[in-house]
Parts: sequence; C-alpha cells; structure tokens
Amino acid sequence: MFLRQHAPLWTLIAACACLVFTFILWPNLRRWQKALLVLSLAPVVFSAVMARLNYFEWMFHPIDSAQFLPQAGNKLDAKEMVMAVRFDADARAYPISQMAYHHVLNDVVGGVPMAVTY
Amino acid sequence: MWTRTVNGRALHFYLAGINNQNFLMRDTETGTWWQQITGKAIYGPLKGAALNLVLSDEITFGEWRSEFPGGQVLAPVPRYVKEYDDNWEPEVAKLPVVINFPGTELKSRDVVIGVTVAGAARAYPWETFAKQSPIVDRVNGTPLLLVLGPDGKSFRVFVSRIDGSDAEFFLNTAAGDASDAKPGWALLDTTTTSQWNFQGCAISGPSSGKCLDRVPALKDYWFDWRNYHPGTTVYKH
Repeated sequence: MFLRQHAPLWTLIAACACLVFTFILWPNLRRWQKALLVLSLAPVVFSAVMARLNYFEWMFHPIDSAQFLPQAGNKLDAKEMVMAVRFDADARAYPISQMAYHHVLNDVVGGVPMAVTY
Repeated sequence: MWTRTVNGRALHFYLAGINNQNFLMRDTETGTWWQQITGKAIYGPLKGAALNLVLSDEITFGEWRSEFPGGQVLAPVPRYVKEYDDNWEPEVAKLPVVINFPGTELKSRDVVIGVTVAGAARAYPWETFAKQSPIVDRVNGTPLLLVLGPDGKSFRVFVSRIDGSDAEFFLNTAAGDASDAKPGWALLDTTTTSQWNFQGCAISGPSSGKCLDRVPALKDYWFDWRNYHPGTTVYKH
C-alpha cells in the first residue's frame, strides 16, 4: 500500500532524474550508448505515466451519472438478478449484469448516500 | 452495499484495484483506500474507519418487481451495453482461483450463502440450501431461517423468532394468497400456524401483520468467503 500511495511522486522523480542525466551525458555518448539510454528511459517514463492513471477504470468504466427507470419502463428479463435496496419509500434495483461491470456506484437512496458495490 | 457517510461527510468512491474478485476503492475526498468486501479503510487518512452495511437483497427482477411496483431500476449506460453480460457467472467461474483451501469440505468455486451472527460465520452451500429450503439453523445462539424464493433463485435470511420465541418454518405449497407473486407459495410456522410470504411477513393467521427480522447474507464463492472468514463453519445436514 505504501508503494502504491507514493508511486506517482517517486516514479516522477525517477523519470525526471533519468531525463536530466540523459541531457548531461548526451554529448559524450557514442551512438549505441545513446540508443541504449533511450531504450532504458522508456520504461521509466512509462512507469511515471502509468502511476498517475487509473487503468482499473479503463477496464471497468464508472457510471458518470446514473439514470433510473421506473420498473415498467425497462427491458430486464424476470429471471435476471438484481441487487435491491430500500430506504423509506425509495426502492431501487441494480441489475447485477451491470454492477458486475461497473463494480461501484455512488448513489443516494431515500436521502441516504450509499455505495453500491459488486 | 454500504452507506458512504463518514464523520458527517458523504464520500465518493472509485475503483482503484482488483483483489481476487473483490476490489479496492478510494474516496475522492481523502484518497483513503477501502476494501470493498469489508467496508473498512485499510490505508490513508481515514485508516481504521468502517462503512455501515446496508441490508440489500440479491433477488430476481421478477420478484423485486412484484414487491416494489413503484421502484426504480438502474438504467444501462448506452456506451457500455456491450460490456454487460447476463451470462457473466459461467465466464468468471472459469477464471483461475489464486487462493485455495485444500482440505476444506467445499471446492473453491462452490457457491455459498455466507452469514455472520455476532462474529460467528457460517457458509450454506447453495446446492444444499436450494434442495432443503426453508432451512432453520442456529448460529451463535441465534435461530436463523434461510429461504429460497418462489422463483428458485432469490434468497433471504431471517431471524427465526416470532415475538421473541424461536419458531420453525415449513413450506406450505397447498394454500396461498392472491397478493403473492406466485399464488400458492407461502411459509407456515409451527408456533402460530400463520402463513408468511417471501418478505418474511405474516399474511394470514394469528401473526398477521408481523414481520421477521432480516439478517444480512452474502452469496459468494467458497474461497472468497473462507478467505475473509477463516473461522467459518459450514452447514451440514
């Protein structure tokens, strides 16, 4: 967890340091040494970029703004599984086929903020 | 499902990691890391905090529709419709399991209903449960009633007590009530001989109008349940 938390900062520092060294050394290098240096720069810069991106959300896109339909207005089959919750008069169903993809949804049910997770 | 208000502030969660079919999430407000399966903050400024579990059902749309005709359903997001897979379970079941518990009674991908009562955990193998429903069992001194719905897929768990006294329940397929989703399906208790519906409420008889207390339950793979509840027992009959 410590590594995950601090990766964005330290990979950025490492990438900057590598770039600085590259500029300093560049004039004194032979061609094959320059090629090698550029090749080794690539994974360092790649890590610095990837540490700042959430690729989990590339695989499983979040729902930006959840829309709801009345139960009569949707096309679910009666046998499809849903996660169901009710608070006061607010009853909501979250189809599992959708939640198994999105994984998490921040919603408000009957005035209570809830996290729907699957 | 969890409430997401911590210290008076409503947090917004996003997916931040996958962990053996559970996931890690972070909140945008503090960047704290939370475990989906336990609702606990495991790293970051709010470490040690815990979300409150919300009682939810895993039931068929047909059952839900009959119980909550005025309810709302999450609409599919048009852009991602091709990602939604009605048949995802068999696909996921083929994935390799990283954690195994050889020597335990069940196979890793056996489906169980997991229940915890005052810290004591028990797993009910789905196959057994489906055959024997309704099941009355005792966990940590509390009598439980596990019920398979009229649709054969929905399930609920209740505290098997009427007015503080333990009760036994049987399936009563002979009689029914027109207001049930499937007329003819009802539970019968041996104490008051009242009829009860799948919501755990008595619809006729001396207990009419009363409802049993619900118990949160999780339908899960054995390996996952066992991983997070190492002391779990397994229901045997």
